[in-house]
Amino acid sequence: MRIKTTREKRILIVKTVFRWFLYLLIMLICFVSMNAGTFIKPILLIPVAVCISSNTGELQAAFIGSACGFMIDLSCDKLLGYNAVILCVFCVITSLCYSRLLRNRLINAIIITALISLIQGVLDYNFYYDIWGYEDSSLILKHYTMPVILLTIASAFVIYAVFHLINKFLMPKPHLTIEEAIKNFEE
Amino acid sequence: MHDFFKSFRFKAILVLLAFLIGVMIFAVTKGGYSLSGASVVNTVTKPFKKLSNTVAVKIEANLDKITNATEYYNENQRLREEIGRLNSKLSDFQDTKAELEELRKFIGIKEKHEDMILSEPCKVIGFTANDPFKSFIIDKGSDNGIEPYCPVVTAEGLVGITIEVSADTSVVRTILSPDLSVGAVSTTSGDTGIVEGSISLAIDNNTKLIHVSKENNLDLGHLITTTDKSGLFPKGYSIGTVIETGVDSSGLSSYAVIKPAVRIEKLSSVMVITDFNGKDSSYYEN
Repeated sequence: MRIKTTREKRILIVKTVFRWFLYLLIMLICFVSMNAGTFIKPILLIPVAVCISSNTGELQAAFIGSACGFMIDLSCDKLLGYNAVILCVFCVITSLCYSRLLRNRLINAIIITALISLIQGVLDYNFYYDIWGYEDSSLILKHYTMPVILLTIASAFVIYAVFHLINKFLMPKPHLTIEEAIKNFEE
Repeated sequence: MHDFFKSFRFKAILVLLAFLIGVMIFAVTKGGYSLSGASVVNTVTKPFKKLSNTVAVKIEANLDKITNATEYYNENQRLREEIGRLNSKLSDFQDTKAELEELRKFIGIKEKHEDMILSEPCKVIGFTANDPFKSFIIDKGSDNGIEPYCPVVTAEGLVGITIEVSADTSVVRTILSPDLSVGAVSTTSGDTGIVEGSISLAIDNNTKLIHVSKENNLDLGHLITTTDKSGLFPKGYSIGTVIETGVDSSGLSSYAVIKPAVRIEKLSSVMVITDFNGKDSSYYEN
């Protein structure tokens, strides 16, 4: 492993700040676009939350999940905090899975996005339509819930590609500081 | 994995989850007003949402022209024929109008809607994502005198009601929603009922008039307007026209399918009625 110099540490900080700025910008763009037009749209914030959580620690993943969840609540006019709780839990689980079990691959991101979209969509249908006894509530599943889930999974391909590009240039590569190298040598 | 559950991070995540659940519970008690944080986010993102919606509406309109060209051509032909029929009725209408003017002088019928106080025109800045009932967001809020449960209208007719109000924006629930009930009456036959949306009809942008007496005289084309029974809506505002009638599945009452007077999916601006005669103030006291 290469040893990190002070100059490289500074570059790393700049890259990290810029990377998080891009993450937040993408979140904002996805949030704003979700209220545009009357057509059925994918919930872009779900694959965004998955892609960010796969590269961060559990606490950061929890905050990102909460933030994305709040944005989904605002744009879908749901009870504030409802999607925040759901995404917070799933983002922490995603972060744990990626740090212990999974590799950062497209297929893993797609599967996790699909699982979260499916659970979120079914819970949404259940709590907002089914339990209230609306007539023909199954039409919501056919015309809205399932198309939204499928579109969300399809959008995950594009979102993953964007995040892969960002991380390729701005994610720190494994390095040691001089102090860590000396400590390892002494041990 | 055991280390994680004993770590400080796990406890911090539990505290965060408890906070989020607290936010959810607090949001329920707000009675239609947004939380301060949500209000700030709505204010900050309002211009971006406007821009995004403008672009999406333009793209949607252009795609709509291409995909529905045949339907528009057929509708164009049908409308030409209807213009011809209406022209022939116009001459009868002129006679009837003259008679009505004379009657008005004798019984002093006031001009419609004189008692209403309207807000400034409100632009539609976005539609709630994936909502089957087409609820939308307007660019005016409590700073402009709008409160929750204010009727939302256009010149053509009733659109819905405000359900969530922040400082600069409001969310409008439309008449396509089963969560909104509007007391209604047919101007032609006098039959009363309640306009309440349904999921199957909302897909076609229609709504339903329910709890109509089985002995009714409703017919296709009848105009349905609001009554002032609930205190939520002013009297006599146009809701839509009857396009289908039938007997309810219970067999105890009749229903009618209503085509709204307003094309909700094409809305670009609306107005909010902030006050009118007969308004029930108890809705606004929470």
